[in-house]
Amino acid sequence: MTSTSQAGDPDTKSVRVAVSLAAIPRSGGWFHSQTARRLGFGYALLAPAALYVTLLVAVPFLFSLYLAVSDASVGEQVAGFVGLENFKAALEMDTFWIALRNSVVFFVAAAILKSILGTSLAFLLLQNFRGKKIVRALVVIPFTLPVAISVLGWKWMYDSQFSVFNWVLSRMGLIGAYGTDAWPVWLGDPRLALIACVLVNVWRTFPFSAIVLLAGFTSVPNEVLDAAKVDGCTFMQRFHHVVVPMIFPILMVGFLFDTVFTLSDLSVVYILTQGGPGNATQILPVLAYQIGIQAGNLGRGAAIALFLVPLLAPAMFVFLRNLKRREY
Amino acid sequence: MTLSVHGRAQSQVTRRQFVTTASIGLAGGSLATMLAARQAPAQVRGTSLRILTWSHFIPAYDTWFDKFVGDWGEKNGVKVRVDHIPHLEIPARMAAEFAAGAGHDILFNGSTILTRIYYKTLADLTDIYDQIGKKYGGWIPAARSPVDVEGRIYGIPIYYILLPMIWRKDLFDQAGLKPPDTWELARVAARTLKAKGHPTGIQFSHCNDANLNWRSLLFSFGGTETDPSGERPTIDTKEMREALRFSKALFDEGMTPEVFSWDDASDNRYLASGIACWVHDAISAYRTTESTNPPVFQNAYIGLEPAGPGGKRVSVSAPNAFMVWKFSKNQAAAKEFLVHLMDNDKEGMVQSTGYNMPFLNDTAKKPMPVIGADPKLQVLQDFPKIVAFFGYPGPYTTQIQEVANLFVLPDMFTRVARGQGVDETIKWGVGEYQRIFAKHKRA
Repeated sequence: MTSTSQAGDPDTKSVRVAVSLAAIPRSGGWFHSQTARRLGFGYALLAPAALYVTLLVAVPFLFSLYLAVSDASVGEQVAGFVGLENFKAALEMDTFWIALRNSVVFFVAAAILKSILGTSLAFLLLQNFRGKKIVRALVVIPFTLPVAISVLGWKWMYDSQFSVFNWVLSRMGLIGAYGTDAWPVWLGDPRLALIACVLVNVWRTFPFSAIVLLAGFTSVPNEVLDAAKVDGCTFMQRFHHVVVPMIFPILMVGFLFDTVFTLSDLSVVYILTQGGPGNATQILPVLAYQIGIQAGNLGRGAAIALFLVPLLAPAMFVFLRNLKRREY
Repeated sequence: MTLSVHGRAQSQVTRRQFVTTASIGLAGGSLATMLAARQAPAQVRGTSLRILTWSHFIPAYDTWFDKFVGDWGEKNGVKVRVDHIPHLEIPARMAAEFAAGAGHDILFNGSTILTRIYYKTLADLTDIYDQIGKKYGGWIPAARSPVDVEGRIYGIPIYYILLPMIWRKDLFDQAGLKPPDTWELARVAARTLKAKGHPTGIQFSHCNDANLNWRSLLFSFGGTETDPSGERPTIDTKEMREALRFSKALFDEGMTPEVFSWDDASDNRYLASGIACWVHDAISAYRTTESTNPPVFQNAYIGLEPAGPGGKRVSVSAPNAFMVWKFSKNQAAAKEFLVHLMDNDKEGMVQSTGYNMPFLNDTAKKPMPVIGADPKLQVLQDFPKIVAFFGYPGPYTTQIQEVANLFVLPDMFTRVARGQGVDETIKWGVGEYQRIFAKHKRA
């Protein structure tokens, strides 16, 4: 290189550089080859994304792993290695098993309801009607409202004494009067309380499912749907055999996000019931927060939170594998 | 290098020991002079002080407090800033500040007391605690428990919040009932008045009032939570069984299932709605009815903590304390401010309309500000000697804090109210307590 950088006219210089580059593999090894440069350039372009993922995903995850195998406390600068002690302690807790069961029930129930409501809403928003744009904007409001405010609103609607649902249902004669056994106590009955929490989670996030599906539906060309119609396909056949396969990647990404949002949702249960009554609505994120932050045992809190990984990992694996297969 | 006096080999002082001792002596002397002069030392001037506190249930208190802090800052040349956040967010904020090693200088702890978790990173406030106590006739017996770790003080207890009996005299009189001076009388009243559309309610749920109320009942029944050292849970007792059976009867006879869903404010609303015959709650429940339901306000009376079967009364209250981070760069100003705050303890009580109960004996002397002048509230002056906190009669330890955070004790009462057997419930509760205590012991 040094020899080619000597002064000379531009044409001569560029020719010399080209000759010099071609000669590098023989004189400077593979690291100076064109392939190496191309790869280096490619990795340089990837580096910001890789750094971003490392800093925001890998580092916190590894840090949680470190906390989970330590006796870290919120008030201690140093932590000692305790192996799997925190996981063992979690498994010994009755409350942990209740939280695990509730987390699964919460996730499955919410996923089913969000699929039904999200798909229905997406189909409705596909139709042409007056004020469609306003309606589209309005349906995302639950998703965009600060969670603390919206859930506090729900807490009032579920209030044991002033519940607007109960007063409407009571006026309609569907439930008994206030003070009788036929007056539902939404957040006080163990089964109703869990249902009430699931409903708030669904209300908050099903617009997201609908928007994702809507984006997918609009990407399906009308010609394909028309061709299916001409072939005599019913609505369900078109949906099952044409629309779903075509929007599958979008569906998978939507499910992926939704799974994470639902399983890690701390706010709804924490604000509505704090896991009560009698742990009836206790879920893993709330339990992890109560033990890890409020009671100060970071290690055990992290271990409980990490139990979400085995719940999430199979779902992630299935989604991502299907997505990969569809790409080829 | 070692400074030593020949012939007195047993008395050796290293340079480091000398410097440390001299510094402590100098700092102690300066603080004493500063406190005696009631003026901040020169090094405090030109500094800044950040205070993190809660949003008080009495908004007027916050208004007064912010101005009080501002006036003090102006007088002493300290730039001050007060941040108010909901008290439930304080543990998370404290954890974040600890991790960052930066943040506020003074921190508030309310209900959730984290002294024993953070004490290694908190400034030792024993000197000002002792001096304030000496100046104001000492602290009430319960004051030390939330802020003491192995004989050192890491927080200044500023006030506690009582949950007395608030009962409807008009309803009691109409039914010919005696005031609810004992838990048994309260139960009879609830049974009688529920039939007339006026049940009672105590939270069988996950909220702080549930933690406080059921402990008051348990301790008044003669039960305890830990031994005096705080090392061993003591809930498998005859008194605990009696308290659980009593709570089941109280629920069946005098409450509705609403109580399973209640939060800290539900009983306030229950009283304000005119339905409750009595509630066991902070006096904010009573105060708010003044504007929301004046007839209820006129007829609501405050009672002493109901006595248990043996005549014992223990009122479990919510303590509140201010702490100072060890990494605070302005500990001198922080201490000076806390002393000034406690010098104005009575004024704070006035501004809170009697909601803040004093930890200092002199302020707790009759007549107390505000409540001493109000015939309905005068009974609150008898509470200081029966006040206790979580863990009674043991100290407020980290394991008890975890028990409270997981609502183990209210869950025991909830299980029995829902029909689970007392023995089965005790077995479950003992298991939860022992598991938590054992983990802390291992740690």
